Amino acid sequence: MIGQLRAELLKQRSTQTVLALLAGMFGLVGLAIALHVLTPAASELATRSDQLPAFEVGTRVGMLFAALVGALAITAEFRYGTIRPTFLVTPRRTPVITAKLTASGLTGLVFGLVATGLMAGAVTVAFAARGIDNHLTSSDYLRLLAGGMAAAALWATIGVGVGALFRNQVSTLVGICAWLLLVEHLIPSDVARYTPGNAGLALAIQATHTQLAPSVSTLAVGALALPLYAAAASVIGWRTSLHRDAV
Amino acid sequence: MSSLTKRYGDVVAIDEITFTLDAGTVTGFLGPNGAGKTSILKVLMGLAEPSAGTALIFGSRYRDLDDPARRVGAVLESNDFHPGRSGRNHLRAVALAAEIPLGRVDEVLALVELGKAADRRVKTYSLGMRQRLGLAAALLGDPELLVLDEPANGLDPAGVRWLRTFLRNFAAQGRTVLISSHLLAEVAQTVDQVMIIDRGHVVASGRLDELGGHSQTLEDIYLDLTEGEAT
Repeated sequence: MIGQLRAELLKQRSTQTVLALLAGMFGLVGLAIALHVLTPAASELATRSDQLPAFEVGTRVGMLFAALVGALAITAEFRYGTIRPTFLVTPRRTPVITAKLTASGLTGLVFGLVATGLMAGAVTVAFAARGIDNHLTSSDYLRLLAGGMAAAALWATIGVGVGALFRNQVSTLVGICAWLLLVEHLIPSDVARYTPGNAGLALAIQATHTQLAPSVSTLAVGALALPLYAAAASVIGWRTSLHRDAV
Repeated sequence: MSSLTKRYGDVVAIDEITFTLDAGTVTGFLGPNGAGKTSILKVLMGLAEPSAGTALIFGSRYRDLDDPARRVGAVLESNDFHPGRSGRNHLRAVALAAEIPLGRVDEVLALVELGKAADRRVKTYSLGMRQRLGLAAALLGDPELLVLDEPANGLDPAGVRWLRTFLRNFAAQGRTVLISSHLLAEVAQTVDQVMIIDRGHVVASGRLDELGGHSQTLEDIYLDLTEGEAT
């Protein structure tokens, strides 16, 4: 299992895919900073409730790109046929899927840290530069970083599970983007509180008394729901990989 | 292998096949396109599930072997590489997964004469180089048995001769090679024995000189047995 994990980490390092995703994430976080931190009038960022939504975007972008890392870890193998040498050298498939989940989860942690760290830094610097009183507490920052990392790592495993199920790279990536950026916003908020994306946000942001409150649940609900989604996706990805023909 | 069946929908690709390979020999696995060669090899190597029966290799299913990559090396497609990854990193990932020391990567690169290109991305490789990189991955575990699906496809004459010499030397060390092919002229020069399949059945197997009279070429035998139909 250690061998498979080292192999998966090498696969991530040895192409430019992960770097390209990291660059894309930088771009999207930058856009989020422009839209949510730099553009709004100072009066729109007067209270803690007004200031927290910037953290939401950073967290969501981190989860999205971590999920893409996980999805690509498995769909690239089907796209380029490397799944055959992979399964030939490790014909028992469970260690392969476990290693992909673990390696993607570790890379997801880094993506979560980078996305939320960039957002936290931008908010701090921009508020200071614009003379806006920063009402975010140190526990808000800590929860953003820790929760954002955990949410991204769990979403990376969701990406592996969904990728193992669908195998097709384009439909997997489009599906994940559509879910996180579009579908969850269309779901009525009393249901949306329990969707995997909003459960991830609940890990990173205290949503009570903010404009996020309708659709973002409490830390406890998020900490229960998102690991359940991740476990379900991992098990589905593992089960569907066990016996399907790798042709 | 024993009592193996593989269906794709209503099509039976493999029907009850058993065969034995002798150590120190190269066996050619022949049959028309669509005869089931690739399906058999995929089922044998655990990439596809049989519809009925069990594919056994060295007495067990491939996935139940203790150290599969050190028993069998296989190449089932010639281009199973990430185009953006270097040949060396492809081999390192395979070696790590099989817990083979990374020093072996340089050895197999030298064996297939890819040392100079090892750090280039695979997308810059010719087809012949990709065939050799696949072979290098199969050789990492220093296996007893090599299973190669259409290894001569797309090779130029120098590449074909290189492959033939390589496989003969490999067998001369007391190891075993199974190659599928539809290139009869090439097979006749490389293999000790052949196994001919048609529509999922073995229709003939044995040493080349035992299969027909002396006047019969491999092509005659093959076309007789497979009824020469174009598929």
